[in-house]
Amino acid sequence: MSGVNLEGIVKAYGPIQVVHGIDLEVKEKEFVVLVGPSGCGKSTTLRMIAGLEEISDGALTIDGRMVNRVAPKDRDVAMVFQNYALYPHLNVADNIAFGLRIRKESKEHIAESVEEVGNILGLTPYLERRPADLSGGQRQRVAMGRAIVRRPKVFLFDEPLSNLDAKLRTQMRAEIKRLHKRLGATSIYVTHDQIEAMTLADRIVVMSDGRIEQIGSPMELFLNPANTFVAGFLGSPPMNMFDATITAGEQGPVAEFDGQRIQLQKLESLANSEGRKVKLGIRPEFVSVADQDAPNLVKLDVDLIETLGSEALIHAHLMGDPFVIRTNTVGQMNILNGISGFTIEPHLIKVFDAETGQALPGQVLEQ
Amino acid sequence: MTMENEAGAEAANRPAPADRTARNYGDLSRVERIIEHLKREWQLYVLLLPTIVWLLVFLYKPMYGLQIAFKDYSVFRGVAGSPWAGLEHFYTLFGNDQFLRALKNTVIISFYGLIFGFPMPIILALMFNEILNQMFKKTAQTIVYLPHFISSVIIAGIVMTAFSPSAGIVNTVMGWFGVDPVYFLTKPEWFRPIFVGTGIWQEAGFQSIVYLAAIAGVSPTLYESAVVDGASRWQMMWKITLPSILPTIIIMLIIRIGNMLEVSFEMIILLYQPATYQTADVVNTFIYRQGIQGGQYDFAAAAGLFNAVVAFVLVMTANTISKRYSRTSLW
Ligand SMILES: Nc1ncnc2c1ncn2[C@@H]1O[C@H](COP(=O)(O)OP(=O)(O)OP(=O)(O)O)[C@@H](O)[C@H]1O
Ligand SMILES: [Mg+2]
Repeated sequence: MSGVNLEGIVKAYGPIQVVHGIDLEVKEKEFVVLVGPSGCGKSTTLRMIAGLEEISDGALTIDGRMVNRVAPKDRDVAMVFQNYALYPHLNVADNIAFGLRIRKESKEHIAESVEEVGNILGLTPYLERRPADLSGGQRQRVAMGRAIVRRPKVFLFDEPLSNLDAKLRTQMRAEIKRLHKRLGATSIYVTHDQIEAMTLADRIVVMSDGRIEQIGSPMELFLNPANTFVAGFLGSPPMNMFDATITAGEQGPVAEFDGQRIQLQKLESLANSEGRKVKLGIRPEFVSVADQDAPNLVKLDVDLIETLGSEALIHAHLMGDPFVIRTNTVGQMNILNGISGFTIEPHLIKVFDAETGQALPGQVLEQ
Repeated sequence: MTMENEAGAEAANRPAPADRTARNYGDLSRVERIIEHLKREWQLYVLLLPTIVWLLVFLYKPMYGLQIAFKDYSVFRGVAGSPWAGLEHFYTLFGNDQFLRALKNTVIISFYGLIFGFPMPIILALMFNEILNQMFKKTAQTIVYLPHFISSVIIAGIVMTAFSPSAGIVNTVMGWFGVDPVYFLTKPEWFRPIFVGTGIWQEAGFQSIVYLAAIAGVSPTLYESAVVDGASRWQMMWKITLPSILPTIIIMLIIRIGNMLEVSFEMIILLYQPATYQTADVVNTFIYRQGIQGGQYDFAAAAGLFNAVVAFVLVMTANTISKRYSRTSLW
């Protein structure tokens, strides 16, 4: 039962509130990823869980115990920092052993644990080295070693991979995933890299401006974003969005924009809403490319086609805004060369309220 | 390569001077290279000039006079005209009880200074670092820095007043407990503690700035990480702060050892009196009395030269040891 529960967690620096009441329940053994743009309060939230920042309001429970006023060391959490926070004057083994030594564990236990962690993380050959003599990836692993050696109830990660180059990051990402499978510890992971979020998370928490925008599994968020923010934040390239007005059509609602029409799915929330302003969201992957003669064609001004081997990115414009399409190349090169627009199935179009940015209810894409 | 070719190459390269120097550097002779370098970097040398002149005038030119340590110097015949005397003055020096006493005192006072005076600023810096209230911290720091900015003469005056047998605060307080007044400054056994203590009071605060700067350079995440690991403030001081500033401590120690024989000469002159010569007279005050007051310039120069050679050996040794064992060194 080593879950973490946040209820109405608030952080204020003097009069400035930066986290505005967060509710989040992290279940035991769950891997939860906090994502959001820079400055949205991810680190602050994580640091409140670690006990490095005071909680201004709300209740934080770890393992069923309220820990708002409990010192970090008694919360039984371990944290991995972005810049590793390794002690430069200690070698790898001593760095890993630091937390155990502080807790006055027995010598044998420390030696055993360091050896085991060294094995798990492939650090055995480097145990005698100082951090300065390690590569970035190795340092990262030592930082992880320091965390796992204590067998804490909860792991906290604050952008642990952002100092690594792209290739190493992919590798370490897989390693973290593997480690989590093996140790099964409750983990809260902060990143602003959406690929890390998508690949690592059991559930993703999307934050912006100190608030939670949506919580859900990676695919839920990808397929059914609750609002334009989440829709635009997850997915790469991001979801295309443009303004449109609802009119009634023969087979249900139709969106009108720039003199073009596009069929929408039948939604209760769109009944009798002629003239309603909406935002349409279309994933770059969900459209079919089409040439001039296709029925229900949405016309685009195509700027550029990037062929990346098995797939291609089509950069175009719709009403002056960029519109990107991602599609397979196999068997489609003819169409691609003559592309003038796209077609899309109505249920794949997300409809958001133009004012609030919230997705209209009733649009659920099954995984 | 013919002359014309060289000239041609020069002309062709002229639009890109940086490129030119890079390409032709290897062809130039050593002297040419130095001239080339001076031409490019002359501004830096102009900046350096005042210091070089200062060194030449005040440190190198006087070295010419050092030769009188090996001469039978007479003011009338001048430095060059005086006859050589070989090591005679050094023999006299080591046969002189007063010099040997001064040497012993120098070593003892420096040693006390090192043992008690060196750790003080480090301890102060560590303590300042633990103060959380910024107002209190700033005030405390200012108060501790203050004595550094007071002239030695005034400091000596304060010390003399404080230890005065009639009105001094020390004797007054002792009087409350029924202790008879002590004539501290005339007692040889009290001179060294008072002198070393004064030095600490005067300089420890100011010297702590170096360590505070070093502490400020330690990454805060090291402490955060330690906090999550469960370290107490005491453990963080021992296991993070101290090891992190160890290189600074070592550098300061080397410098300190190099200056070890440079006991604060003016302070001794101000505080000692014939009654305390026994423990207070150091090489520098000995030189002062013999050379300046007694007119034995050649003899005093020999004493001074000996002092300098010992200091040189000390710095070299300290630096070498440190380089070998801690990878930290001055050069
Ligand atoms: N001591 C402070 N006083 C006032 N505001 C602060 C303080 N520390 C952080 N903030 C503000 O809190 C907000 C959240 O900061 P936080 O570090 O949690 O962002 P983040 O989501 O981790 O961003 P990043 O992805 O860049 O790390 C920021 O807008 C920041 O300016
Ligand atoms: Mg952050």
